[in-house]
Amino acid sequence: MKNKLFEKYFVFSPYFWLVLFFFIPLAIIFKISISVSEWGMPPYQDIFLFDNGFKINTTFENYVYIFSDYYYIGSFVNSLILALISTFFCLLIGFPLAFYIATSNIRLRNILLVLVVIPFWSSFLLRVYAWKIILQNNGILNVILLNLGITSEPLQLLYNQYAVIMGIVYTYLPLMILPLYGYLNKFDLNLIEASKDLGLNRIKTFFKVILPLSVPGIVAGSLLVFIPVVGEFIIPEMLGGSDRLYYGKILWEEFFVNRNWPGASALAFSGIIILVLPIVIFQILYSHWSQKNEI
Amino acid sequence: MDNNFLVIENISKSFGDNKVLENINLNISKSEFFGLLGSSGSGKTTLLRILGGFEKPDTGRVMLDGTDITNLEPFERPLNYMFQSYALFPHLNVFNNLAFGIKENFTQKEIEINVRNIAELLSIEHLLNRRIKQLSGGEQQRVALGRCLIKKPKLLLLDEPLAALDKKLRSKTQLELTTLQKKLKITFVFVTHDQEEAMSLSDRMAIMKNGLILECSSPEEIYENPKSLYTANFIGIANIIEIYKKGENFYSDDLGINFKLNKELKNTKTNILLRPEKIKIQSINNLKTSSFNSFSGEILEKSYLGSFTRYEIKIKNMIISVLDQNFNSNSNYNFPKGEKVICSWESESIKVLED
Repeated sequence: MKNKLFEKYFVFSPYFWLVLFFFIPLAIIFKISISVSEWGMPPYQDIFLFDNGFKINTTFENYVYIFSDYYYIGSFVNSLILALISTFFCLLIGFPLAFYIATSNIRLRNILLVLVVIPFWSSFLLRVYAWKIILQNNGILNVILLNLGITSEPLQLLYNQYAVIMGIVYTYLPLMILPLYGYLNKFDLNLIEASKDLGLNRIKTFFKVILPLSVPGIVAGSLLVFIPVVGEFIIPEMLGGSDRLYYGKILWEEFFVNRNWPGASALAFSGIIILVLPIVIFQILYSHWSQKNEI
Repeated sequence: MDNNFLVIENISKSFGDNKVLENINLNISKSEFFGLLGSSGSGKTTLLRILGGFEKPDTGRVMLDGTDITNLEPFERPLNYMFQSYALFPHLNVFNNLAFGIKENFTQKEIEINVRNIAELLSIEHLLNRRIKQLSGGEQQRVALGRCLIKKPKLLLLDEPLAALDKKLRSKTQLELTTLQKKLKITFVFVTHDQEEAMSLSDRMAIMKNGLILECSSPEEIYENPKSLYTANFIGIANIIEIYKKGENFYSDDLGINFKLNKELKNTKTNILLRPEKIKIQSINNLKTSSFNSFSGEILEKSYLGSFTRYEIKIKNMIISVLDQNFNSNSNYNFPKGEKVICSWESESIKVLED
C-alpha cells in the first residue's frame, strides 16, 4: 500500500508542480489584471468590496488599454520576430553540431557534450556582460579590426538588434543542441548509408532521410528556445539599443517604472495566452501526426 | 563464364593498429551466388562494406564489370547493399521504401509499375500501404530486398541476409533467395557466420579468418577436401586425428590403430580428417577387426536425429563422432549405449590436412 501511494504521488508530482508554480501565479496575475488601478500600496484596488454590501470591483480597462496602443502590441510582435530569428539561427548552428556530437565516438562525444554544457557553470549575466566588453567601441573585436586595417574607425557593434540576436543565439544554443542530441543519438546511421546506397547524394539524403526523422528533436529544441526568448529581458537590455523595444522590457517598465500593476499584469497574461494557446494546439496536432507516422 | 566480373585486388584495411583485412584477392563471376563465411572479427563485413563503398581500403582496388569502383561514392556505384538490420525508412510506408531509389529518375507512372512488379515478384503486393513497424521480420526482409532489386543492380551485397529471421522461416527464405537469384541472374555476394547458410546458398564460398581468405571453393569441395585444420573444424562435424609415419603405414597414438593412406605425405607427422558420415558402424559379431582403417570401440553417447543417429564412440584415448543413416524403421538397427561396435571406412575417405 505504501508503495502504491508513492507511485500515485510520483506520477502526479509534475501536476503539483504545474499547479503550484504555473496556475496559481497565473491566477494571481489574472486577478491583478482585472483590478482597478490605484495610487497606493499595492497599486490596485481589491476586487471584492464589502463597504456598502457586497460588490465586485473588476474592470477590463487594462486590456482595452494595452490592445488599443500599438506601443504594447508592437513590442510583442518585435519579440516574436526576435524569437523566430534566434530560433532559426540556433537550429542552423545547433543541428550540425548536435549531429556531429551524436555521430562521433564515445570519448569525443563526452568531451563535446561537456563543452556544450560548460557555459552554464558561469553566471549568465557575466557571460552577457563579457559580450558587451568584446563588442564595445574600444573592445577586443574593434581593436583587432582596426589593427588589421579592415576598418579605419571603430564599428558600432553594440546596442542594436543584431547584437541582441547574437547574444540570444549564443546563450540559448545549448538548449537547442541538447534535445537535438538526445534525439539524434538514437538515429540509426545505417539509414544514411542505405539512402546513399540507393543513389541519393549527401544533400538529398539530408532532406529525404535525416531531416524528416529529426522532426521531434527539432520541435523540442525549437520550443525550448522560442518560448523563453519571447519574454527575454536581460539580453535586449544589455546588448540592445533604442532601435527596437521588446516585450520583456516593456513589461518590466510597466511594473517597476510606471507602477501600473494591473496594466502590466494584463500585458503578461495576454502574452501567455497568445503564446501558449497556439503551442498547445500545435502540440496536439503534432502528436496526432507523429503517432500516425510512427516517428 | 566471365570470371572477372567482380575483381578484388590486394585489398588491405586497418582501423588504427588493428589489421582487419590483409591483401585480399578474389574473382567472382557474373550471376554467381558468392558467400563470405567467417566468425565475428574475421573481416568479412568490412570487405562487404568496402564493396558497398562505405569504407575505403588502405590499398588495392575493386573492379566491377571492367570499371574501377574503388574511389566511387556509394551513390555512384551500380550495386546495392542489403543491411543486416534492413535499414528500412521508418517514416515511409512500404511503397515509398521500395520506390526510394528510383524516385529521382522515373515518372510517377513508371514508379508505380516498377513497384508493383517488384512487389509481385516478392509477394508483398498486399503490404504496400503498411508502415514498416507493422511488418514482421520476414516481410521487412522482403521489402529490404525489393528496395535493392528495384534498382536492377549489377551486384547485390547482402549482410547476414537471414540472421534476423527465426529458424523455420530461414530455411524457407534460403530456398526462395537461391531461386530468385537464379531467376534474376544478378551477382549476389553475401556475408554470414552460419556455415549451413553459406553451404546452402553459395555457388562458391570463401572462408575468412583474421582478415585472410583461407580457402575459396565450392561448398562440396570445401566440405569434402578442406585444406586447413581450421576449415575442417569450421565446416560440419570433423574427426581430426593426428598420425605419424611408422614403417610402411601411419599410426595414431590416440586410437592405437594403423592407417593406410593412398598418397605420399610431405611430413612424417600430420592431421587427418574423417567425416562422421563416412564411417560405417557394424555390430562386433558381424565382422572381425581388420588391422587397417577400422577399429572397435564402445558407444558412449547416442542422439537420435530422425534421418540420422549420431554416436559418440570411445576408442582408447579419443572420442569419434559417427553419423549413421537410419535406413530401416527397425529399431534393432540402432545400437544401444554401451555396446561394442566396429567402425570402418574407405581409404579414400581419409583427408590429409597438410597445413
